Amino acid sequence: MDASEREQYRAAIHGDREAFEMIIRTHSRALFAIAYGILQNREEAEDVVQDSLVKAWKTRWRVRDPEKFPAWLAAIARHRAHDVFRKRRTVPLSEETIDAIEPEPANTMTLDRQLHSALADLPELQRAALTLRYFEEMDYRTIENTLGLTNGALRGILGRALASMRKQLRPAMASMD
Amino acid sequence: MATIHDEIDNWLAGDLHGELSDEERSTLHAHLVDCAACRKTHQETKLMNKILEETLAQEKADPAFEQRMLSRFRKRVPQQSGPVKLLRDLMHLRAAQITAVAAVLLGLVQLGRMITGENAIAARERARYASKELFQEPAQVGASWPARAGALDKSDELAAGKPKDLALAAPQSSAETRSKLERDFKAFPATVPPANAAQTEMAAKETGSEGKVMSYATEPTSAETPPSALVNRKLIRNATVELEIVSFDDAVQKITESANEGRGYVATTNSEKQANGKLRGQVIVKVLPENLDRFLQKVRGLGELKNQTLGTEDVTKAYFDTDARLKNAHVMEQRLIDMLKTKTGKVSDLLQVEKELGRVREEIEKMQGQLKYWDSQMQFATVAISLAEKDMEEPAAFLLKERAQLAVYAPDVEKIYNDIKTLASPKVQITNAQLNRDYSGRVSAQLSMLIAPEESDAVIARTKGFGRVENFQTQTERIAQGGSGMSENAKTKRDKVELSVTISREEQEQPLQQTSLRIRTSSVDEGAKELRALAEKQNGRVRNSTFNRDPDGRELANVWLRVPMKNYSTLMQSLNSLGKVENVSVQRQDRTGAQIDEANAPADISIQVYSQGNIVSHESGLLATLRRTLAQSAGAIMWSLRMIGVAVAFLAPWVVAFVALIWSTRRVIRARRRL
Repeated sequence: MDASEREQYRAAIHGDREAFEMIIRTHSRALFAIAYGILQNREEAEDVVQDSLVKAWKTRWRVRDPEKFPAWLAAIARHRAHDVFRKRRTVPLSEETIDAIEPEPANTMTLDRQLHSALADLPELQRAALTLRYFEEMDYRTIENTLGLTNGALRGILGRALASMRKQLRPAMASMD
Repeated sequence: MATIHDEIDNWLAGDLHGELSDEERSTLHAHLVDCAACRKTHQETKLMNKILEETLAQEKADPAFEQRMLSRFRKRVPQQSGPVKLLRDLMHLRAAQITAVAAVLLGLVQLGRMITGENAIAARERARYASKELFQEPAQVGASWPARAGALDKSDELAAGKPKDLALAAPQSSAETRSKLERDFKAFPATVPPANAAQTEMAAKETGSEGKVMSYATEPTSAETPPSALVNRKLIRNATVELEIVSFDDAVQKITESANEGRGYVATTNSEKQANGKLRGQVIVKVLPENLDRFLQKVRGLGELKNQTLGTEDVTKAYFDTDARLKNAHVMEQRLIDMLKTKTGKVSDLLQVEKELGRVREEIEKMQGQLKYWDSQMQFATVAISLAEKDMEEPAAFLLKERAQLAVYAPDVEKIYNDIKTLASPKVQITNAQLNRDYSGRVSAQLSMLIAPEESDAVIARTKGFGRVENFQTQTERIAQGGSGMSENAKTKRDKVELSVTISREEQEQPLQQTSLRIRTSSVDEGAKELRALAEKQNGRVRNSTFNRDPDGRELANVWLRVPMKNYSTLMQSLNSLGKVENVSVQRQDRTGAQIDEANAPADISIQVYSQGNIVSHESGLLATLRRTLAQSAGAIMWSLRMIGVAVAFLAPWVVAFVALIWSTRRVIRARRRL
């Protein structure tokens, strides 16, 4: 993290609105990636990012160390997304909708859908790392910074994520070949 | 160390994402050449990576995403400016937060003090007062200047003008009243209309302040009293004289002579004879007022003057008032009579007039009577002479009263009590007999008797024979009868002798001699036993004994003995055989009076037999100290536990309330946001 970046975070913490808007410009995509990773829904993810930004602005003075500002933002987005996710799960489905959903055999599902369900089965951290990597093509260091991970941990996380995805999608991929 | 094979997933991910160093990459590729399984995995992972890239690229945020976020953010968080923003920013400063918390705490403390009624209120009141003064000062300065100037003017006026007025007014008024008064006085010699006198006084009151009235009230009486005024005063004079004379009859005769000389008379005489033959009485004499002084001088010469008063009552005002009212009443009477004579009007009116006439006549009679009484009083002065013959107080006789008191100690109180009671006879009267037995079984008796004088010595001697006598007291008193002081002629009579006897058991007798000592022995128990044996040999009695053993092994026995005085010294010597005798202290109470039988009088000895205890007591050993320390520390821990409990009880409600408040506000805020 260079000095100008840190200065930007510091100014934002102290209520500099322009600096905060700059942060919105640079970080909202990453936040979106994280939220999407959890929710797998664009609209909801967008709302989550929006709420997180507002909350971050309102509670910005809680951050003591400007270095941790991006990680803090990401944590807010993750928590918010979790809240939304949990709420979504508790909404009971009506009988009609249940009837409407027809169970599909795994092999008939499209690859796209299978990919999403495999993604949904991943642990949350792995999902976030994956989305950050594949949405924004961020390098490992930035991702680690954003998620507040220690140096070098990301490689293992992404490795495990890819491996479990691979195992889940193996039949589909075989048919693709 | 983990091999590449074990962590192939991580390596592959790093390779695909371009995060491997060149060295790492060549190592990986070398392994892939060797390992078929990993090669397969590599292929799969590469495919997976491709699928992910393709699929997720569609899902990523659109290019306008940031702009959308920004505009929505701006909408939701409007730009704040001015004091609100400043205040918010300030709120987030650590220092500001600490200050705010401190202020809140202080406020709470102040509130608490107010609730508990400490003097916070007073302090606040004072503060408010001060501020009020501060605020008001400028206004006051402006307003008060002219007012003060006005006040100054007024005071100047007072200093210059008013006193002048006063100075002028004062002499004027006094001169006025004085002249008026003089006029009034001049008017007096002529037959004074009584109303005039009253008027004078009224006028005097009206014209001046009280001080001035006083000033001339004193003036005429002191210096320039006109003689004519005195003559017209209505004065009642009377005197009382108290005399001590040798012979009552002679004195009365001389008083009568003197009264006749002064054209007076003796109004009443009364006399009374005392028990010692002396006379006392009172003579009331009426003399002409102008002869009063001369008469009194003569009377004084009759004997020793004890007391004299001379009084003058001025009834002038009342006299003339009554006189004037009487005249008015006469006029009134006349008019009523006239009304009756004309006989007009109703019968009831006439009756009313009749009634009124009756009332007026009664009043007239009353006033006439009053005036006549005053006239008679003024005509003669009254002198009341109290006479008493000399040596009035001389006693007629003397009575010799004898009281005797004795205490008898005997082993059997009741027997002696009954023996003394048998002495009763017409000449020996028992007035009071009392036998007491208290709850501890002690018996004592009290007897009081009156003995005829001729029998008294014999009875007292017999009483003494009943037991050991202590404290025999007699008291003789000569009582003068019918007076006080000495008398040569008075007879002396012997009265009955009062004897009171107290009978108590011997144990209650006060010892003649008290001794206390300590004996140190090795065996206290045996020492005490031996002591008992020794005492019994010497005809003594153990009255009381105690024994105790201290925790540290010290033994202690206390023995109180009573022996007859004659055996005292032998007992004391024999005590040496018991052990080391220490701390001997002897106290002897010699009583005056030869009635005491000294050889048989009791002597008390209090002996403390003791032994040395252990050098280190059980209480101060190592174990005991350890035990005590443990107990104390356990107590301290318990105490601190209690204090912690108190602190928790102190804080817990606040913490709970605070947390509940925060929780509920957050709930409310969240609920609102969801809506």
